[in-house]
Amino acid sequence: MTSPIDTPLSRRSFLKWSGAASAAAAVGGKAPVLYALTPDETKKSSAKPDTRYSVCGMCLNACGLVAKVENGVITKLDPNQKFLKSRGMLCARGNAGIQQLYDPDRLKYPMLRKGERGEGRWERISWDQALDHAAAKLMEIAERYTRCGVMFTPGSDSQSLFVHWFAEVFGSYNVTTHESSCLLSRNRAYLDTFGEVPFADILHTKYIIIVGANPFEALITPDSIDLMTAKKNGCKIVVLDPRFTKTAGLAHEWYPIRPGTDMAFFLALSHVITTEKLYNETYALEKLSGIEQLTDHVLQYTPEWAEKECEIPAADIRRIAREIAAAAPTAIVYPGRRTSDYINSTQMRRSMAIVNALLGNWDTPGGLLAARQVGLSGPELPEAPFYDDNPENRLDKGMASMMFEEEGAFKHMRDAIISQKPYPVKGWFIYRYNPLQSAANRQKTIEMMKQLDFIVTVDIAMSDTAWMSDLILPAPSVLERQDPASGLQGSAACACVVARDPVVPALFESKPIFEILKGLAGRMKLGEYFDFTLEEYRKQQFKLLPDAECAIQEDGVYYNPSKLYGIYEGKIYKTLSKKIEIYNERYAQMGVDPLPVYQPPASNPVNQFRLVVGRNAYFTHCTTQNNALLNQLMPDNSLWMHPTAAKKLNLKDGDRVEVSSKVGKGELSISLNNGIREDTVYMASGFGVLSKGLTRIYGKGACIAELIEDYADAISGNMAMHETFIQVARKGTV
Amino acid sequence: MKRTILTLVSLALILVFAGSLLAAEKGNSRKGKYTFRKGCRDCHVEGGKAQEMSPANKTQAQWDTVFAKDKYKEFPCKAEWDKLTPEDISDIYAYMYEHAFDSPSPAKCK
Repeated sequence: MTSPIDTPLSRRSFLKWSGAASAAAAVGGKAPVLYALTPDETKKSSAKPDTRYSVCGMCLNACGLVAKVENGVITKLDPNQKFLKSRGMLCARGNAGIQQLYDPDRLKYPMLRKGERGEGRWERISWDQALDHAAAKLMEIAERYTRCGVMFTPGSDSQSLFVHWFAEVFGSYNVTTHESSCLLSRNRAYLDTFGEVPFADILHTKYIIIVGANPFEALITPDSIDLMTAKKNGCKIVVLDPRFTKTAGLAHEWYPIRPGTDMAFFLALSHVITTEKLYNETYALEKLSGIEQLTDHVLQYTPEWAEKECEIPAADIRRIAREIAAAAPTAIVYPGRRTSDYINSTQMRRSMAIVNALLGNWDTPGGLLAARQVGLSGPELPEAPFYDDNPENRLDKGMASMMFEEEGAFKHMRDAIISQKPYPVKGWFIYRYNPLQSAANRQKTIEMMKQLDFIVTVDIAMSDTAWMSDLILPAPSVLERQDPASGLQGSAACACVVARDPVVPALFESKPIFEILKGLAGRMKLGEYFDFTLEEYRKQQFKLLPDAECAIQEDGVYYNPSKLYGIYEGKIYKTLSKKIEIYNERYAQMGVDPLPVYQPPASNPVNQFRLVVGRNAYFTHCTTQNNALLNQLMPDNSLWMHPTAAKKLNLKDGDRVEVSSKVGKGELSISLNNGIREDTVYMASGFGVLSKGLTRIYGKGACIAELIEDYADAISGNMAMHETFIQVARKGTV
Repeated sequence: MKRTILTLVSLALILVFAGSLLAAEKGNSRKGKYTFRKGCRDCHVEGGKAQEMSPANKTQAQWDTVFAKDKYKEFPCKAEWDKLTPEDISDIYAYMYEHAFDSPSPAKCK
């Protein structure tokens, strides 16, 4: 039998095979998956297909979908046309959710490590054995090193909240999330300017500057779709990016900015806007705090000065400042998402937030939006116990000046675990988080793991982190799960609630994390804290939304018609000055620059390139590269390099090269590309895996985590992933 | 001689104790969260006997006023506050202040 995944992929075949993938031979486990993996022809006598609402889990956008089920097998996923957040769209990645469900590479049953870590020798064990073992190990660590001796990384899906809850009742506050490798510096900057992290009303805006973000490729709903609509409606798009991304390709203007100099551009915009008084003075008087200090501060940052730093012509900076100010308040500097780039990324985003403040776009159409009311209630749970023998603080406390207590900073936590100071951490509980691929300096993560006595990973597939663990517990995909309700805001599109129910029963022996935690809690005398069912939990969430459950059954989503604009009318801002803080008073008190002060980025060492990373439309961080359908779109990663730079190294398109940084190395092909600066290279994430359990990508490409050095933003602790320079040489010449 | 030593030791203990109280003006925020939730949330919840209460109900300056000026002694639930030790109160103060409306980490609804 020829497997459909071995043939070239057309859209038609993509959809045709969405439900029936791959060869059955490699699969173990129960009958449903074997049935699902058989070709469509054998199922022609099936009954009328059933359709069920669900919500995509292939990335964090949570787009509504309708699953077509035939004879108990999901054969197709369609967009939920009533789902406003995604504008009735389901992307290719969402369609490939079926391949995640029916993937022969899935983790199928609990497995206990037999050989050395990473050797790949496992023993299949029962769930009872697995939970007994995990509970015993975690308690052993708790008794010897206190409850904080276990670190928890809860992942970012709709059941992650139960991992947070488990960590709290278990008694460890050493919780670190995905966010410290993602968007903390943006959150910090906007929280410290507006008192809140905003959504961008792209659909209604007339002018947008996008920097360090790529929404036409790194899809985010509804922003990606709304940006296209806004463009059709006359919105001007200006993109600053060292790469010619798809967003740059569809923009009106693209500037290949020198990496790490974004702040120079935005300080110069502030210079023009303040010196030429292009802002609304009445608004500024009423709403802004610190405009006088800003005006003085940015006098030095002229467009001519900025040109020398960011390599964008002064005349263009001046013109863009005047254009965006003229479009204000229907104008936005896009806050973006992943801002884990530089050691000053919070201050860099502050410089952008300050321009937004000058545009007067807060809480208005076409500007930045505050969080709307969704209306879900927090279920009443018993009070978590307090453990008197615990240390007073998180392990990484104080390692960044304004770290988010609930998110932590993985980079700092890792350093503290390695040094065992201020106290030892010896256990690690991981749910759907894979720092061996996503966190800078993979070797250091491995070094940290050597300090740990017990590592347990719960995941759908054998990630690199699962591969290096002691115990692996299989989790179902979202299509097999019942989840608590989640509140979502789709920018101006909606404030809504979704709640998944299983479309098909969980395959193999996979168990949702909620059940796993319940099982562990029961074994640790913590059963009273998980003494509820998901139905009961959801009922409490819907306490104040009597119509929600019915709407979700009928339409797959509930909309709360809450106020969208003018939420702050008559209200104070959550800042010390109670206004929008251009000049941050808390920063001043703490000795942090209250206004962003420009620090030039490090210069490229001779014959080295700055490495930048970023998303494409196929992959969610490092989780979907091994997906049978998505892998066909990009089976390997390559190194983007400008032809002029390649010529100097005597390299041509497709050559195999060795790449190395101070912390690691890799091997991959180069891809010559005019759409990147000569001093910069780029590669996609998620390749160069350690795990032999990811059969389609094992042995393919190079790993960003292996190469990137471990820097962090000074304020938020956000990982700084664009601070690394790498050497590139033809394979065999190093 | 013995008496002098005893006096000195007592004095030292008083100083240490006073010092620790002073240092604990804002105590252990985590413990404060526990004490607050355990002691206050029977009434101060959505639909409860008293107004729903969270650190984010007030600004840091407002919490300073509540605790520095012992305003809690004027609360209708003064009797409940009287049951708390000075350490409990300083812990609650720390929790309220660190997660106030205008703090770097405002409390989220749970």
